[in-house]
Amino acid sequence: MAKSTSELHVAIVKIFKDVMDVEDIEITNETTADDVEEWDSLSHVRLIVAVEKKYAIKFSDAEIESLRKFGDLVTAVARKTNA
Amino acid sequence: MTPTLSELLTGRPATTTLADAVLKVWPEHEAYLTKSLSVRDAPVLEMTEWLAEAAVILGGDRLHTIAENYRWTCDRLREEELHFHRHGSYRLTTFEAANAEVYSDDAYMERYIDGLLLSQVFWSNHVESCNFYFREVPKVLKDSARLLEIGPGHGLMLYLSLKTFGLAGATAWDISPVSVDQSRRALERLGASGATFAVQDIMQLAPGAAAFDLVVMSEVLEHLEDPRRALTSIRNVMAVGAYLFVNVPINSPSPDHIYLLETVEDVLALVETAGFRVVSHGAFASQGKELKRALRQKISVSVCVIAVAGD
Repeated sequence: MAKSTSELHVAIVKIFKDVMDVEDIEITNETTADDVEEWDSLSHVRLIVAVEKKYAIKFSDAEIESLRKFGDLVTAVARKTNA
Repeated sequence: MTPTLSELLTGRPATTTLADAVLKVWPEHEAYLTKSLSVRDAPVLEMTEWLAEAAVILGGDRLHTIAENYRWTCDRLREEELHFHRHGSYRLTTFEAANAEVYSDDAYMERYIDGLLLSQVFWSNHVESCNFYFREVPKVLKDSARLLEIGPGHGLMLYLSLKTFGLAGATAWDISPVSVDQSRRALERLGASGATFAVQDIMQLAPGAAAFDLVVMSEVLEHLEDPRRALTSIRNVMAVGAYLFVNVPINSPSPDHIYLLETVEDVLALVETAGFRVVSHGAFASQGKELKRALRQKISVSVCVIAVAGD
């Protein structure tokens, strides 16, 4: 069953915090790499793959490059999973 | 609070020169550089500047191009990271494939080697590995030792070894004539003397052909299809009681990395099953990550081993 975007947000925040190794930080749809010290190009790749595995989806190189804000990622997952 | 990049670079002119060159072509890399320098303690920052001084000399008037090639190399590595995390394996697994894609492409190699030169300064695990080498090797190295480095690449380790170890002599081998020539020219540029260079296939070493006191293999084993056989062969040119220094990255996808090692124990077992006894080792994760977490998340870790040839 498709999940709501808010459910997706919560689930992807959990993945994000695990991949980035951050705990006490608020993640909003507007959060970017500028706001999270651990969010660099390599951890971005790990985040994408962790999300791909969780939702059995795949992002193209162009999509990976374009996902700048946390909300972009949630929206892209929602689109691919028809949430 | 994390210091700013400017604060971290204060009093480190060579590192500053390289950072400025990189940020000119890649301003978004500032956060990475800041993090990378902030996780280093005083000796490692001193090592950073030492390596940067040599890299600045090697770079000469090509620093802008080298910085562009560093960015290009990081882009290539990101592609390999994507494959690695999706599939759990390196993209290439044979020397033939790596040769076809990387080694035989002169233009690719020039950019890649430039990129790796700056990685020697800006990637904390690379500098930590150098720091381990220059801290631990003197504890076991005898006076007037004969050193062999296999695959010296940009020549920084060889250059700094010649400067600090009081060696009786140093020899550098690589299977590629082009690489041998590049290392030779790098040492000349750095003003180092006392090293001899030769094209040599380390799989073809006759017992007793030479008797080195220290053999250095830094970031070589992951490029080989059969690193155990290479290590076993190397024993043929080691003096009795000679030491081996190995630096091998684990979970570290790169365009020409073909042999995947996934744990520190994998590396120690590789060295030991080739007939060596491990004396000491260190493991340094990318960006100063905690080792346990780096292993769990399959983040690149440089594993350094000092071992003595067994009977």
